[in-house]
Amino acid sequence: MRIPLPPPAAAGAAAVLGAGVTAAADLGLLAPAAAALGVAAAFALVVPTTRPTTDDAETRMHRLLVAPIALVLSVVAGLLAGGILDWWLIEPVAYPLGALIGSVAAFWLYRRLSTTLALSFGAVVAAGVLALAVTALVLQISGVAPFHAFSRMLEFGLQPDSLVIMVNSGTTFYLSAVAVAIGFKMKLFNIGVDGQYRLAALLAAAVGGAWVMPPVVHQIVIVMVAVAVGGFWAGIAGYLKVARGVSEVISTIMLNSVATGITAYLLNTDRLAVQISTNNIGTPEIPASGQVPGIPAGFMGADRDIFGLVFLAAAVGVGYWLMLNRTRFGFDLRATGQSPTAARASGIDIKRMVLLSMVISGMVAGLVGMPQLLGQSHYYALDFPTGLGFTGIAIALLGRNHPVGIAFAALFWAFLDQSSQILDFEGIPKEIAVVTQATIVLTVVVVYEVVHRWGLRYQQQQVGRELARGEREEAAAS
Amino acid sequence: MSSAPSGGGEAPPAVELRGITKRFPGVVANHDIDISVDAGTVHAIVGENGAGKSTLMKTLYGMHRPDEGTIAVKGGVVRLGSPSDAIKHGIGMVHQHFMLADNLTVLENVVLGAERRGGIGHAARARIAALSDQYGLGVEPDRLMEELGVGQRQRVEILKVLYRGADIVILDEPTAVLVPQEVDELFDNLRELKREGLTVIFISHKLDEVLSVADTITVIRRGTTVATVDPSRTSARELATLMVGGELPVPELRESTVTDRPMLEIGGLRVSDPGGRRVVDDVSLDIREGEIVGIAGVEGNGQSELIEAVMGMRSVEAGSVRLNGGDITGWGTLAIREAGVGYIPEDRTRHGMLLESPLWENRILGHQGERPNSRGIWIDCAGARADTERIVADYDVRTPGIEVIAEALSGGNQQKLIVGREMSGRPKVLVAAHPTRGVDVGAQAAIWDHLRRARSDGLAVLLVSADLDELIGMSDTLHVILRGRLVARADPMTVTPEELGAAMTGAGLDEGAGSGGSEGEDGE
Repeated sequence: MRIPLPPPAAAGAAAVLGAGVTAAADLGLLAPAAAALGVAAAFALVVPTTRPTTDDAETRMHRLLVAPIALVLSVVAGLLAGGILDWWLIEPVAYPLGALIGSVAAFWLYRRLSTTLALSFGAVVAAGVLALAVTALVLQISGVAPFHAFSRMLEFGLQPDSLVIMVNSGTTFYLSAVAVAIGFKMKLFNIGVDGQYRLAALLAAAVGGAWVMPPVVHQIVIVMVAVAVGGFWAGIAGYLKVARGVSEVISTIMLNSVATGITAYLLNTDRLAVQISTNNIGTPEIPASGQVPGIPAGFMGADRDIFGLVFLAAAVGVGYWLMLNRTRFGFDLRATGQSPTAARASGIDIKRMVLLSMVISGMVAGLVGMPQLLGQSHYYALDFPTGLGFTGIAIALLGRNHPVGIAFAALFWAFLDQSSQILDFEGIPKEIAVVTQATIVLTVVVVYEVVHRWGLRYQQQQVGRELARGEREEAAAS
Repeated sequence: MSSAPSGGGEAPPAVELRGITKRFPGVVANHDIDISVDAGTVHAIVGENGAGKSTLMKTLYGMHRPDEGTIAVKGGVVRLGSPSDAIKHGIGMVHQHFMLADNLTVLENVVLGAERRGGIGHAARARIAALSDQYGLGVEPDRLMEELGVGQRQRVEILKVLYRGADIVILDEPTAVLVPQEVDELFDNLRELKREGLTVIFISHKLDEVLSVADTITVIRRGTTVATVDPSRTSARELATLMVGGELPVPELRESTVTDRPMLEIGGLRVSDPGGRRVVDDVSLDIREGEIVGIAGVEGNGQSELIEAVMGMRSVEAGSVRLNGGDITGWGTLAIREAGVGYIPEDRTRHGMLLESPLWENRILGHQGERPNSRGIWIDCAGARADTERIVADYDVRTPGIEVIAEALSGGNQQKLIVGREMSGRPKVLVAAHPTRGVDVGAQAAIWDHLRRARSDGLAVLLVSADLDELIGMSDTLHVILRGRLVARADPMTVTPEELGAAMTGAGLDEGAGSGGSEGEDGE
């Protein structure tokens, strides 16, 4: 029972159906539920009218795994689109429009979602469910009703102000995780992002606060100082590894301590710091010409501003992806990470790659403190956030070193951080969010390994089928 | 421990495999294997590379479970879930690649993991000495592993198996790493084991060896047993036919295409290892356009180092390498490759491929700076993909698509992809190390075809191989390397594998052919 339609017609029909069903159901249901229903209806229309274009269309794997995951993803896309549009539009318009976007996504995903990617999404979902289950268990054991805690977190976390804070800390996390991920791609473990960004932020703040420069130039100078300091600090570890064979794990941990010492030494009223308040000292405030204005978030009903440097983080993400997948340098970097022996035989200078990737990782690490420094604090003081480098390691793991994966992981992490703040008011220890964060990192690592092996086996099966076909053809020909 | 049933015709077979089937995606699996191994015999299992011998032996050693069929040991059906199950039933295995720790003594290596069988002290030493005497292995318990030669190491491996109480010993391609003299010693050891009532299962694809040592031979082809024969009533030719089903590809060159124009000139090349030992010593050779120059030698005599030096992966101490008249000594690997030297590395999984990357990214590997893979600093994905499609079609790489990761392909198909990749830049010189090692018969024939065709188009090839038939058949000129020196030249038209094998161990081979009488110094 297949009624193939030309692709544009199928996509159009799905979109109209999705939006229509949502608008109709909105009269009787909550808007998000109506949108979910609308997208699901559109998906039901897509399946018989569209043919997937992937290699393994119509196999059991595709029916049982890829199609359901495509459904889930398109519903999520529809809900997200509806929720975001709701900030500007009235609800009966926003959600049908969201459903329309979700329906087009349904069409596109059903046609194009590849098995390996679907497996990855499945892995993330499985890991998320597992982590939530563990958290619920911990809550249950400590005598708290899990669903009460979760619903309070969700409610608080989705408030506009919480969302702004989530985006802001997500921006910082993102930069930190990308810095770590660059190292991971080379099988280098840059634990030193923490020291790199703190030292970079301090010196950048000191330079920025020392002079007044024209706007734009001022910001660029501050950012450049941070990038240079971060790159230099990580470069020390890279140099030690290349020249002396020192493990970068050891040297970056040591350099973190050294950085802590140096910042403590420099952050003194005799040197770079001035008294800021009675019990806080910091660098002189960066004048307005060096600050980066925030993006007002009044459209979503929030009083806070979104960091202007969120665009810098996005640019770093795009740059990271381009560098990794589209440049010779990125190819060399990935090749070296996968197989140093093969890289050497292909003429890649491994020492140079180690040094360069460490420096680049440090340069991105230097950016970690910038959104906070230029967007909010305007000076580096004793209360400047610490430990972001270590969070970055967890987020890079969670996002599987992929620029988009890291973005979701960073936002998710920030969401947990922010939404757990409410638990204190409920008399529930907010550290429960840390349990969730820790379990999800562990489960993602494990589940990904399992999925990776499945993926390999699945590909081998496909190759095996190809071999068998070749042999049959040979037999038929002879 | 050696309570193996001996003599009596009524004794059940030591091992009986019935209808063994193992499905294994991507590579040749086993199906309907039937083998019966009599106690107290040497039973050989022969088959081409990739015929499924190793898979079968892994099944027997409990490294994986068969999907169908039964295994009976000494008359009783057993389930072997792990190697320790196999050892409990008296089955031991000597792997092709030794699993020994160099910095431990023989004693320590033997007792490692079997400490409960006699501790690690005097009792163990006494038992090792007793076993060594009983089977004539000549193993000294207190020697350091790193001091031992390949043959001695292999005897330690056998002793390890015996120490664990095995009376059925599986040897996986034991002669692959040995020189002919060591092979003879090994066979003496095996006969000794047999005399003491042990059962030996011997896996090989070298027919002469099998014929000389085995009591029974089972032939495996395409994953299944095709015949079990008595060595006294068969010939190597007959076995070969059974092994490949009649179409044994023969490495041979037709008319000579050698020209006068030297493409690769190596002069007085000297390379030392990090320890200061000279591993390539004053090697000079020329390869002309359209010529294949073969290097024969027992593994570890400097072939790998010679190749790595030519490819710029190892620093040259003295001497020169010239490509088409231009000096490339001391150049970086990428520069050498881009100057027109193709490279088929000896270990494709470690040096030739990114196993976790799709095929089209493997097309780029080693050719990052060339069209159609890149433009300036940018990778040209579309170009690389299109060219990979071309290689897959032209070189008959069996794959469902180019997005498949390299690890999913079988060895032969991986190698075809590498050959296709290295040929696609129209290289002037190809450095090929073991180009057909571990690939199936079909891929072997295809790779030889590609080499022949490229040779007639004027390619100069430096060929290193452990397969003497391949060397003799494919080379226009043959050199023998021993301890880093080129010690002899052989004429591939007249030399026999036996003469070449003798020369490889230092027994003289004069210019031309024919082996001299004097035995060289001992290889160990």
